[in-house]
Amino acid sequence: MDSDNIKVTSSVERTLVEVEAVLEFAKVERKEIKAVTQIVHFSPDLDNDSVRLLELDSDVLDALSQGDKIVIRGDKEDGAVLCTKNKSYDIKGAEISNAMLIMPNLQFGDSLPEDGPAQLHHRQVTSTLHSYYELRQCKPKLKKLKTILEENPYNGWENEEDSEHRGNKYTLNDILNMVQASETEIEVALEKLHAVQIDGFWRVLDFEFLTQVLNHIIQMCEENDWLSTGIPMEECLNTLQELFPRMVLEHIIKMYADKVLTSSNSEEEDEPLTIDIDYYRLNEDKICRFFAELNLREAGKFNLKDFLSVWQKCVPEGMKTGLYQIEGMALVDQNSTPETIMYLNVADLPEEVEERFNFLFRTREKWSLEDITPFISDLATETTDVKALLTKYARASTHNGIKVYNSRKPVT
Amino acid sequence: MVQIVIKVPREDNTLSEWAMIELQGSLETRHPVALNGRFIGDLHFTKKDVPVLIIGHHILYGKVVTLEKPFAVLVKDSEQRSENEPMETEDENVNKGTSYSVTAIIKKKLLFKTRPKPIIANVPKKL
Repeated sequence: MDSDNIKVTSSVERTLVEVEAVLEFAKVERKEIKAVTQIVHFSPDLDNDSVRLLELDSDVLDALSQGDKIVIRGDKEDGAVLCTKNKSYDIKGAEISNAMLIMPNLQFGDSLPEDGPAQLHHRQVTSTLHSYYELRQCKPKLKKLKTILEENPYNGWENEEDSEHRGNKYTLNDILNMVQASETEIEVALEKLHAVQIDGFWRVLDFEFLTQVLNHIIQMCEENDWLSTGIPMEECLNTLQELFPRMVLEHIIKMYADKVLTSSNSEEEDEPLTIDIDYYRLNEDKICRFFAELNLREAGKFNLKDFLSVWQKCVPEGMKTGLYQIEGMALVDQNSTPETIMYLNVADLPEEVEERFNFLFRTREKWSLEDITPFISDLATETTDVKALLTKYARASTHNGIKVYNSRKPVT
Repeated sequence: MVQIVIKVPREDNTLSEWAMIELQGSLETRHPVALNGRFIGDLHFTKKDVPVLIIGHHILYGKVVTLEKPFAVLVKDSEQRSENEPMETEDENVNKGTSYSVTAIIKKKLLFKTRPKPIIANVPKKL
């Protein structure tokens, strides 16, 4: 044995002689093992309290390696949620009975030489842990976003100074501080809520105010034949800016109209367009959906036949209403006489899966797949589609030849 | 609500790779003394790269396991934001400055899950 090659990198007194003695004692043959022995000891600065282990999935690991911001958003009621730029994860603590010894410099066998003179390398354990945190991707908890924005919906500039419209305005930063979701998820949700940024604050529009503005826009469309040509954005804004802020007008037009691509539809008249004007054509389905909501919100429950006729009369001339336009916003009951329709907006339903099903089964005992889909499709994830959700939370049976779903548990 | 930022302290976001030894149960000393600096055991690898850990009078054979999901080693940052911030920021977010740094990533561990075998001293130690 060549004792000159013994490497002792720490002051801990453990000699090759001792190691060899223990090996002999344990009846481990020197020729079976590699030349390097790692002497494991606790670090003098052993720290089990300020160190945490967080189990990562590949997306979070990628985010970390790319230097993306990762934030844990903790909330007393909902627990902690970890958010990357575009995903949310529930954080769950896991306790294990095994001890995990954290070692910054441990070498694995495959990095050690086969043979050579025996060596001792000292390795430190910097922490001993019995727990770690697990991540489970979750749906963003966005209910609160809707709740806080609805505290103070935008109602036109003349009402902004009212005592009831002051305060309770939120910037994106405020929202990130209050809502347990990633930035991307919040942006998507803001768009879904049709929220608009006014003076740096994100606001939802008061429904009555929206109705008022939209009626003005539609009236202008009818007067100027913009229903067919599309709305010239600038002209429309210039005309209505006396009444409503331009930014709000533009937001609402973009909500209910689609930009007309200038390449098409210019053959009717031979005049080539001289200026670049942005035209927006009202989106039939969105406008019809709006008028359905306007009627249903007020009435709650309607005789279906009456509703369909009133609805068709409300919409601008030339537009055609159809029940497909109001999926996820209304519930038709074909089993009652006469048939009825009631307002039921998926955006107002509980976002937690079990609560959602409980609510739906309280509203109606048996659902066909077609009827229930619009009210649960937003709960589906990459791994759990609508059918899988139903398998888990509902019981299927056949009723008059149609497959229907009812609750697995007593409805509360 | 409290926001805790997790960040990689290095500018190029490179993460050093650490490792872990996982043992059944926990390590105890005969007397309740601090473990800091204390010797645990000798770790050998056989020529087939099987880890062998000898702790006290026990010998453990383990295996190298690649973690399905790697661990991030997080260390709480000690520096707190200064107290003399402007008054307007006073709100419930007292811990606004809390952050964790990712010190390293652990992708592989040595797992010793079999019961330790006692070393039977049937041969008197000749020293």
